[in-house]
This record gives sequence, structure tokens and C-alpha cells, in this order.
Amino acid sequence: MGGKTEPAKSESMATATTRSPDLINSSFFSFKSLKLKTKQQELLLRISILGLVYILAFIARLFSVLRYESMIHEFDPYFNYRTTLFLTEKGFYEFWNWFDSESWYPLGRIIGGTLYPGLMVTAALIYWALRFLRFFVHIREVCVLTAPFFASNTTLVAYFFGKEIWDTGAGLVAAVLIAICPGYISRSVAGSYDNEAVAIFALLLTFYLFVKAVNTGSLAWALGSAFGYFYMVSAWGGYVFIINLVPLYVLVLLITGRYSMRLYIAYNCMYILGMLLAMQIRFVGFQHVQSGEHMGAMGVFLLMQVFYFLDWVKYQLNDTKLFQTFLRITVTSAILVGGIALGVGTASGYISPWTGRFYSLLDPTYAKDHIPIIASVSEHQPTAWSSFMFDYHILLFLFPAGLYFCFKRLSDATIFIVMYGLTSLYFAGVMVRLILVATPAVCLISAIAVSATVKNLTSLLRTKQKVSQTGSTKGAGSSKASSKVTLDQSQPFQKNGAIALLVGVFYLLSRYAIHCTWVTSEAYSSPSIVLAARGAHGNRIIFDDYREAYYWLRQNTPTDAKIMSWWDYGYQITAMGNRTVIVDNNTWNNTHIATVGRAMSSYEDEAYDIMRSLDVNYVLVVFGGVTGYSSDDINKFLWMVRIGGGVFPVIKEPDYLVNGEFRVDKGASPKMLNCLMYKLCYYRFGELTTEYGKPPGYDRARGVEIGNKDIKLEHLEEAYTTSNWIVRIYRVKPPTNRL
Amino acid sequence: MAPRSDSQNLATGSGVSDGSDQSSIDPIFHLLRILPFSFLRPPRLRLKIPSFTLPSPMTVYALILLTYFLVVAGFVYDVIVEPPGIGSTQDPVTGTIRPVVFMSGRVNGQYIIEGLSSGFMFVLGGIGIVMLDLALDKNKAKSVKASYAVAGVSSVVIAYVMSMLFIRIKIPGYLH
Repeated sequence: MGGKTEPAKSESMATATTRSPDLINSSFFSFKSLKLKTKQQELLLRISILGLVYILAFIARLFSVLRYESMIHEFDPYFNYRTTLFLTEKGFYEFWNWFDSESWYPLGRIIGGTLYPGLMVTAALIYWALRFLRFFVHIREVCVLTAPFFASNTTLVAYFFGKEIWDTGAGLVAAVLIAICPGYISRSVAGSYDNEAVAIFALLLTFYLFVKAVNTGSLAWALGSAFGYFYMVSAWGGYVFIINLVPLYVLVLLITGRYSMRLYIAYNCMYILGMLLAMQIRFVGFQHVQSGEHMGAMGVFLLMQVFYFLDWVKYQLNDTKLFQTFLRITVTSAILVGGIALGVGTASGYISPWTGRFYSLLDPTYAKDHIPIIASVSEHQPTAWSSFMFDYHILLFLFPAGLYFCFKRLSDATIFIVMYGLTSLYFAGVMVRLILVATPAVCLISAIAVSATVKNLTSLLRTKQKVSQTGSTKGAGSSKASSKVTLDQSQPFQKNGAIALLVGVFYLLSRYAIHCTWVTSEAYSSPSIVLAARGAHGNRIIFDDYREAYYWLRQNTPTDAKIMSWWDYGYQITAMGNRTVIVDNNTWNNTHIATVGRAMSSYEDEAYDIMRSLDVNYVLVVFGGVTGYSSDDINKFLWMVRIGGGVFPVIKEPDYLVNGEFRVDKGASPKMLNCLMYKLCYYRFGELTTEYGKPPGYDRARGVEIGNKDIKLEHLEEAYTTSNWIVRIYRVKPPTNRL
Repeated sequence: MAPRSDSQNLATGSGVSDGSDQSSIDPIFHLLRILPFSFLRPPRLRLKIPSFTLPSPMTVYALILLTYFLVVAGFVYDVIVEPPGIGSTQDPVTGTIRPVVFMSGRVNGQYIIEGLSSGFMFVLGGIGIVMLDLALDKNKAKSVKASYAVAGVSSVVIAYVMSMLFIRIKIPGYLH
């Protein structure tokens, strides 16, 4: 290193001449030896920034672990936790071939073939690696902290991606923005052990490797992107986004005349290898050649071959006229053959049409009319402006500015990020849940805007030196002198303006950081299984009723008991209560769910027949009337009616409404006041005074006094009600003996 | 002849018309030459297949800005959920109907007008930053650059202040 050897020589000369100022000299030279060259300073700065961002991304997600405890949140992560537990206990082959008879009684579920194993395998590998290093942690701790760990890794990938698209400054800003962006934090807090935790990392990695492959044309990077795609397919069903965005990008490049050998190598390698690797996942199977959603990629693949063929023919032929006719014939025949093949495949049924989940993204009104289960999930609602603002804050301003900079400097990489940003933002507008997929693109494009603006402003600050140099050279003529004078006059104004604007930029970024921290702390760190509320004196009250009920089930019911509840709670009951359930969150069998919905909305006698046919021993309902908890089963009741009525026409939604309005007070419809769900939720509630000054039986979640207070149950008996009446469990009585 | 005007190829755009009939290797051309056009005489027309030119990047950018405005203003939410344009509440004392601009109570809900005005603020902020960049373009006159800079800064400031105001009205506990 140049910086170090020179002081060494001068040090030896100094000690040769004098001896007394030895100490001062050595300390002085140690400071001098620390002086790095600019390139090394920049590298040190970059590495330290990335290190701090890595740590920041991890610790910003730890609010709920510090406030409550290290536990799994929500509903879906409990299934993932249960399967990971099974994987670590029994090994990979048992996991891959697992048939679970504890859910969807009496049908069972082929778990090995109906899940995306990427998340579980990743957590299990981390667990085994830690055990190998003799850190004996519990698998639950690994599961809880997997999401923040992968969020930190995503910031690193974002840095490299930004460096690929624009420059290192944009990469650093992108890493910082994505580390704290609420749109990403919402699904990757500690405890949110869901597929998206790993999938966003895999998504960004695949995109980065593919763009790198297109930029360099190297086969190694294309191979890397194929493996990144394999990881994404193993992790999340959203891989369909990649397999449609990449061909769309290739198509746009072909249309804008940017066909090149690099693109050919990158896309072919990624498509073929990625497709073959994706078929290794049993849940995906042969969908890449059979499903309508994947046909776009195959079509673009064939189009690329046609382009290559035409390029080769053009190179061989020297006659342009002949080539034009040949081009015409080939293009029309290729399109014709492709169209006929697609038609035959679709008509014969070999190529299945688009599934409802993805079709509702293209036609948002489809789910509302045809598939009530998809429409009932709150995450699937379209997005309002406030959700965007909540999750993005100033990135919403920086996004169009970043698009402008990308359009100013079009290249293969910027075209990609623009397409990714636009398509993902459209889908985020259709479904709230997909804000997560749009977040990396929005952060990257905003980073480009920030980086370009800051570069412009700082270059304004630096021009002073250049102008003073040109001013110092002798200029002949008065015009040059006058221009020098005007430049000198505007210099301090420009410099002050630039400094003021830089301060403004940093102010905006600091407000972004404050907003993100507040949103993370208040909105996105609740475990959902433990509820919190503010008491009368402002203190925090914790409702742990869910876990209380599940542990009661675990300890007080026979091991072969079957529990009937609405499908929301299925995963949690199987994971924590360790009992068989009738329906759970997988929602793969609509008729089974409709049967449960029918039972919940029928009179007690008909419901008893259905429960006997399903061998139900216990019924679990969630009731928020005492605490004011608004996500309880009475508020979800209309969805039970709709889903049940979708399969069994005997259940009619207008029977439960009064003038189109859903009521539970005295004016409610008689069918509503006597159905099973009403009885189970409000049993003995008529005697309870919930609020000071209100009559007994006042439902705090609906804000009304209930209509039917005198409830008698004939075929069920109350088994357990939790301390705040949130979860209520009833035992199904065996049929009376005939005398 | 229809096949003759067909021969203007798609790739290069400008026409290189086919020479004589006999040198063409197009089978469909030969088929058409024999079947209807051996006894039918096509009229002499001066038609050109419209050539397809790609729009400039800035045109595409303007269109994209329009779509961005629609998406961020919650247009899809408006189409599917069909909220009213503006909400209304009844004054408990006097009984008059008063309009309510911001739907309160949930983060993911809006009325149409509040969505459009917020979307406009976001696009205004973005355009402000774009104008700041245009202000630093060296090829323009100083007065133009100065007015771009002033317009850009004022746009960003107004957009940010209004957006913060909107979100504070909508979510009462914001930043507390």
C-alpha cells in the first residue's frame, strides 16, 4: 500500500538523524499511516454504510419481539412452523412424502405435494448450521428471526442491483430505502414466518442476476439467474410474476430494436434451465408446459429462436430484397403456427386456463362476482391512496422522478426496472397484498431519483472551482470579462441555492425515516394472535385469549377430538392445539368449507346432523362482543353465508338481512337470531353487563344490545370460554339413547 | 396489386418494393396471381401500409405518468368498491347534511374525490423534482432555468405539505 510505505522510509530517516522526538514521531506517523487514498476511503465508506444498513434492517423488525415475546404471528406462519418442526424432527424424506390426516378431516391433505418447501428448507438449514456450530437454539427462534435475516440480505442485493442499473450512489440509497420501507416490513417483521419473507429476497436476486446476464452476456450469470428462479419457485406462488415479467421485458427489448446476442444467451439459459429446475417442485409439477399462465414465456422463447434464425439467414444472404420476402414469410408462418398450436392446446384442454387467483389480477371484478372465498380475504381488496401513502411516504414523489431519469438514460437495465416498477405498481393497485412485490422496484427507482438529484446539486456546489480556474486564464476581449463578472455574481446565489436544496432533500429523507419507524412500531408489529388495547389510564392491556383456548384444547380434550371452526383458525388449532380440524387456511376444497359455513348458518338441529356426519367433537367460535374486538366470527358471518350459499342453495343471504342490513339486535331477522353461530356466540351473554350505563347483553363490537338473550342449546354444551370471552368452545353431545 | 403493396416489409419500415413478379419466391403471391387475379384486374391505388414508428421516450413517459396518477389515486378501488364521490354526515344539532371529504376509520378506504386529489399531489411532487433537473440543463437561458427551479421547488413543497395534511386528517393518530 502506497500510503504505508512512504512514512516507513521517512521514519527510518528521521530516527537515523534524531532520537528524542521518537514517541511523537511514531504517533504522528501512525496517524499518517491511517491516511488512505480516496479510492480506499470510498470503499471504507461504502462498506461501513452497507454494514450499518444490514444491522438497521434487522433491528427495525424486532419491535414485537421486544414488546411481547418471541412467537409466531398471524395464521399462515403457524402452518409453516408446524411443517418446519416436522422437517427438523423427521428428516427430509418424511417431510417430502408427508400425508397429514390432522387437517381437512376426513379428507386429509398431501402436504408434501401441496406446499412450497423453500421457506421450511431454508429455516431447517439455518437451524442445522447453527447446531453444527454448537449453538443449540430452538427451531422456533430460528423461524421467528428468519424474516429479518433475509430482509438484511435483500438490502445487500438491492445495493448490487442499484449499482448495476445506475451507479454505486443509487445502490447505497436503494439499500437504505428498502431497509426501512414499511411496504416490505409489513410482511417481514420478526415472527412473520411466511413465504414472502424469503420470496422477496429470491425475487430481487433473480432479477439482479438476470439483468447482470443481459448486461454481460455471460453464461455463468444466466445460470445463476436460473438457480435464483428455482429458489423463487420453491419459495412462493408469486413466481408466476417472474415467468411473465421476464418474457414481457424481452418482448419490449425486441420491439425497441435492442435484440442482441447477450439477450439471447441470457433468456434462453434462464428459461430452459429455470423451467427444468422448477419442475422439481411437486406442487408446481408440469405447469410450465401445461398452464396458460406460463405460455407467454414459451411463446417468447420461440420468438427468440425465430429472431436468431432470421439474423443468421440475413448474415448468409447478401440480397436484401430476397431477405425481405423471406422475413415476411417466416414471420407470418411463425405467428400462424404459434397461434394454431395455442388454439389446439387450449381447445383440447391440455393447456389449462388462467386460475382464478391470477385471472382476478387482470380482471379485478372477476373475484367479486364468481369466487367469494378470494373476495372475502381482506388482503385481496383493491388499494386506496392512503394505503400507498402509509407504505411508501415520499417514495411516491420520487417514483415518477426516477422514471424520468430512467427514460433520460435508456439502457437494457433501466428498461427492465421501469417495466418491473410499472407492472408491479399496477398489480399493487389491484390488490393490497401485492404492495410487497412492488416495494423493491419503487425503492430502486426512487433511489435513482435521489442519487441523480443529489449528484446534480453537488455538481453545482463544485462548479465554483472550475469557473474560478477558467476565470484566472487570460481572456482577450470585453465579452469574456463581462461573462466572467456575471458568472461570479450568480455563483454565490447558485451555491446557496444548492446548499438549501440539499438541506431540503435530507429533511425529506429524515421525515421518511421517522414515518417508517412510527408505522413499523404502531401498525405492523402486532402479532394478531395476542391483542393489545389501551386501558382507561393509558396502560397497555394484553389479551392472550387465543393461546389460552388452544392450550386448553391441547390439555383437556381427547387426542382424537375433531374441532370445527371457521377456516381462519385452522392452522393455529393444528399447530398449537395439536388437534384435528375440519377446514383450515389452505382453502383448497370449497365444498368442504361451504359445508362448515352451512352448519354455522343453519338452525341447531340441521347443524347437528351435519356435525354428526363430519364426526365433530368440539366447535370453536371467536366472539368480540365483550372486548370490542371487531374481527370476530359475527362480523365474518355474512361470508360464511355467501360461501355456504354458493354451494348449497338452501342457504339464502337475504334470509339473514333486514332491508339489506345486517343486524343482531331486536330487529334482526328470525333466521339470524336462531342460527348456530348466533347461539354459540351469545350463549349466556344476555346476563353479562359489558359497559357501564348500558343494559346487559350489550355487544361492544356491533354497538347494539342483542335481540335474543334467552338462548338454550339442545345438542351442544359449553366446554370453555376464555377470560375475555374472545374464544368460546362447545362440546357436541352424543345422540340421546333411544328408549 | 395487393401482393405488390404487401411486399413493403415490416422490419425496415420504408418501402423497398418488389421488382418483377417472376423473381418473387413467395408462394402465396404466386397462388393469388393465378387464382383470382388472372381474370380480375385490380385498380391502380396509391396506398401505403402505415409504417410503425416507435414514440419518443418522453411521450411514453407522459403516458406513464397519467397511468401512475390513476393507479395511485385508487382508481381500481373506485371501480370495484364503488364508493360515493364524497361522503356525507348529518349534523346532530341542526340536522343539515354536511359533506365529508376523507373516509375515516380505516386505512384502506377512500372516497373518489379524496383519491384523485391525493394522486394529483403525488404527481405534482414528482413533476417538481423533474423540473429541478430541467433547471440544471445547460442549454437554456438563465431566466428559463431560474423559473424552472422556482416552479420545481414550490411544487415539491406544496405537494409534500398537502400530502402530510391529507394523511393527518385521514388518520387522526398519525405520528403520535
